[in-house]
Amino acid sequence: MIPLLRLVNVKKRYVTGSAGEILPVRDVSVDIKRGERIGLLGKSGSGKTTFLNLVGGVDTPSSGMIYFNGRDLGELSSPELAEYRRSEVGFVFQSFNLFPTLTVGENIMLPLDLLGIHDENRARAMLEAVGLDGQWDKFPEQLSGGEQQRVAIARALVKSPSLILADEPTGNLDLETSNQVLRIIDEVCRDRDATLIMATHSLESLWLADRIFRLQGGSLIEQPRSGSREIVP
Amino acid sequence: MPWLRRLPVLLGLNLRYYRSHKLLSILCILGIALGVGIVVAVELINSSAFSSLSASVDFLSGRATHSVVSGFGRIDEKHFPAIWTHPQVEAAAPVIEVMATAVETGDEPIRFVGIDPLLDGEFRGFSTVREDSGDFVPFLTERPPRMLLSADVMKQHGLRVGDTLTVSAAGVEKKVRIHGTIPAGDGLGDHLAVLDIAAAQELFGRYGELDRIDLIVRGNVEELARTLPLGLGLTDRGERKATLQAMLYSFQLNLTAMSLLALFVGVFLIYNFSMFSVLSRREDMSLLITLGSDRRELVGAFLAESLALGIVGSILGISFGWLVGWLSIERVSSSISELYFHLRVQELHLTASIALRGLTVGLAATLVGTALPALEVAVTPPVLGMKRRTIEDRAHGLKWILLLSAAACFLGSLAAWWASRYSVFWGFASAFGVTAAFALATPSALSPFSHYLGAWLKRWMGSLEGFLAARTIRASLSRTSIAVAALAVALSMTIGVDGMIHSFRESVRRWLDGALLGDLYISPSTTRWAHPLPNELIEMVYRHPDVEAVERYSTHEALLKGKPVKMRVVDGKVLKHHSTFHFLAGGRDAWDNLVAGGIFVSESLRFRLGIDVGDKATLKTPEGDRAFPVVALTRDYSTDQGALHIDRAVYERIWNDRSVQSVALFLKPGASTADIHRSIVHAFPGLDRTVVSNTKMKEDIFVIFDKTFAPTATLKGVSLLVALLGVATALTAILIERSREMTVLGYLGVTRREMAKINVYQGLIMGAAAFLISCACGTILTYVIVHAINYRSFGWSIDVSLDPWVFLKTAVLTTLACLASCVYPTYRLSRGRPLHLEEE
Repeated sequence: MIPLLRLVNVKKRYVTGSAGEILPVRDVSVDIKRGERIGLLGKSGSGKTTFLNLVGGVDTPSSGMIYFNGRDLGELSSPELAEYRRSEVGFVFQSFNLFPTLTVGENIMLPLDLLGIHDENRARAMLEAVGLDGQWDKFPEQLSGGEQQRVAIARALVKSPSLILADEPTGNLDLETSNQVLRIIDEVCRDRDATLIMATHSLESLWLADRIFRLQGGSLIEQPRSGSREIVP
Repeated sequence: MPWLRRLPVLLGLNLRYYRSHKLLSILCILGIALGVGIVVAVELINSSAFSSLSASVDFLSGRATHSVVSGFGRIDEKHFPAIWTHPQVEAAAPVIEVMATAVETGDEPIRFVGIDPLLDGEFRGFSTVREDSGDFVPFLTERPPRMLLSADVMKQHGLRVGDTLTVSAAGVEKKVRIHGTIPAGDGLGDHLAVLDIAAAQELFGRYGELDRIDLIVRGNVEELARTLPLGLGLTDRGERKATLQAMLYSFQLNLTAMSLLALFVGVFLIYNFSMFSVLSRREDMSLLITLGSDRRELVGAFLAESLALGIVGSILGISFGWLVGWLSIERVSSSISELYFHLRVQELHLTASIALRGLTVGLAATLVGTALPALEVAVTPPVLGMKRRTIEDRAHGLKWILLLSAAACFLGSLAAWWASRYSVFWGFASAFGVTAAFALATPSALSPFSHYLGAWLKRWMGSLEGFLAARTIRASLSRTSIAVAALAVALSMTIGVDGMIHSFRESVRRWLDGALLGDLYISPSTTRWAHPLPNELIEMVYRHPDVEAVERYSTHEALLKGKPVKMRVVDGKVLKHHSTFHFLAGGRDAWDNLVAGGIFVSESLRFRLGIDVGDKATLKTPEGDRAFPVVALTRDYSTDQGALHIDRAVYERIWNDRSVQSVALFLKPGASTADIHRSIVHAFPGLDRTVVSNTKMKEDIFVIFDKTFAPTATLKGVSLLVALLGVATALTAILIERSREMTVLGYLGVTRREMAKINVYQGLIMGAAAFLISCACGTILTYVIVHAINYRSFGWSIDVSLDPWVFLKTAVLTTLACLASCVYPTYRLSRGRPLHLEEE
């Protein structure tokens, strides 16, 4: 069976004026199956976001190949990469990144609109799924941080992407809200058979991961699961 | 004061901001420069026109202390000996001044000055012909007549002493030989020809007439004035300058007002930039306050940097103004020459006072534009991270206050319109009030407009980019509404002025259709210089078998209540049957009353001098002052000095003058205009370009009409350019502020091309909003300009007629201009660095 994502010797190199060459990702090779949930650990600056950007088609590797469903992302043009992100990838960010100019409903409708699917019922169902029924017409700033992140999750998942990339999704939330958000991510990914890669530096967030990797010095190292899933919470 | 000592530190910090926002800083400086430039250009043009006019009067007056002038435009030369020998007169010299063209020098007019060389030496220095030189006798006696010609004309056309010029006067060509050169001086002697007065009289058919008699008065001026022959008066150069300057007053006032409107648009741009710079540094300012900075320091640093921008912009503006003035001066001179009197402005005089005024205006505009942003600095809270949304919420909250202010401005504008009957300044205040009202109402209009337009674009046009663009505009109301208001002001000005010009054009067309019904006109281009047609020509057209009627026309300067007016001499009996004059009053039996000795007055004359139907107008005649009953009020758009019509028979009897300057021929049914044209030209070859059809006659008039409004195109263009810089600034600012949102869109799968489309949509939606606002504002402005400014400036009424083409043209212009203003921000967007959001 073809893995959903295959990374082969992926390397990303930046050249900066002051620091010289930086290699946040070096010779990374990994297969990730459909429906699998991956936890990505690492210190600040370890390259977690770069890794997510590479598999999300936002950035391109300096060398190596990334296959999505057997298709080499390196061979895609810029508009094709945009199409890939539009249809296959859902991003969840630490700072939510909702559009303050759009209502909650419009934020969630946006990915569907981009795909030409004008299905408001689907978006409303998604909002209900994240527990925000009745907040459709509000603006993001009228919501709490946890609620905003739930809207962001609804926006990422409403188009039923194959791949969800979550970058520190609970980094700005308190513990209780974090757990709520993680449970929603867990449930929604499970319902839709979506693959999840979640970058975090919080071990407590990893209870939903099937596999855990650590990015260290640019290398991706698989971590053995210590303890059972039920440790948190 | 310690806070002043810390100012340089803050200024140093702020300088870094400008370094990182070079483009916005340049756009702001350009806005100031363009606004100041146009004000300086108009100042320069107005002052240079006055300087030239003044220098020309001084130059041509020479050492004359006074001049004898006629209340009806010409002096019978038989009066000269008595004046010359008057005990109060030390010296006297007769003068004829005529504008004419020569075949060899093209269409550019030359001022022919006829003098008496024996007497003129006391007055002017341009005569190089001396009694004791061998040149003197030939200058007076040779045939063809001799003249001195200015060096610039000779150099320009490769002429030499001894060459012959073919002077065209009233379509009749006569030869004059160049006897000598008037040396090139400071430009005053340019395009000047000097000849003996007898030769000038012969050349231009002015037998026995003088234009004025220059005097050096040594005694009692009042006594001299009292003893002058009937119909003649005494004037000095100061009075002449004042009279000429007064004629230009309205023309120059309108130019000044339009330039100030351009500056007004510039203030929006300054405000937009300043507000952006304050808001985008708000966090830095908050941090500085928490670190112990004083608010006064922040405000001081902000004002200091704004003033620095203002100074740079103003200095550039002064240079730009000089350039615009230099490029426009010829067109403006030409308009003044067509409308008022011949004026040739040789050079621009950029004086220190004009430069200082430009600097003052630029700094004042900068201060007005930065007042609110400075207040924003003053109230900066010492809390970090004041969100943009909060600022926008405040902007949305301000909408109602602005709307109320708009309503107040509109009511004020109506009041000013009413008050314009007392002064044209209230007319300008009314126009400003209307413009300000619409500008203040812009946020209230833009918010729902962009909301519903966005929804419509998404739902009915399937345009997500349009929807997102509309939402961004609404979300950035504090910025976008300013840019839209500035653009709307500039477009309103375009629609308002173009609407006025169109209405004016239509009114002039209707006026001409009623006044000019002749089939053929013998109307030399020199008619405006009052050259009489030859008598033989008049007799010939009267005898022509295909001509049913002939209307003889001439126009003269007359003095009414001490003011110069145009006196039009017409054949009342002919026009009664061959015209459909638009009478505003007294139309019934108007022509019969005219033939019986009455006069018609134009609206402008009624406006300027308060003389109306039923009144009596006292004119200076060779028989002394004489009162004429005013029997009708007419429309007349040819002069804002005011004009009166008098019947030819009455005129000839009283003024003893049978000269005719143009004729209208009304042909018998079936007669061929081409045949008659041929027969006239056959007999008078010089009249080839002079005999014109009715259509050509009107076309020529509209050429002059269009030339008159040519200077407004520059003013409108610059205002529009300033406004578009405002749109470009707003789009760039939005791009900077919303770069994060654009990046998120990239993560969601929006391509750079689609992002660029969002940006273009933003420009177009802002343009559409500005256009719609300007349609309403511009239409009202058309009415204000026509009724409260034009009528109060020139005294003529115009029927407002709205032209769809004006709106269509403005819509196309707006679209193109907004697309142009999107170019840089879109380029910047499409060439942006790769998407990176959560940088570690």
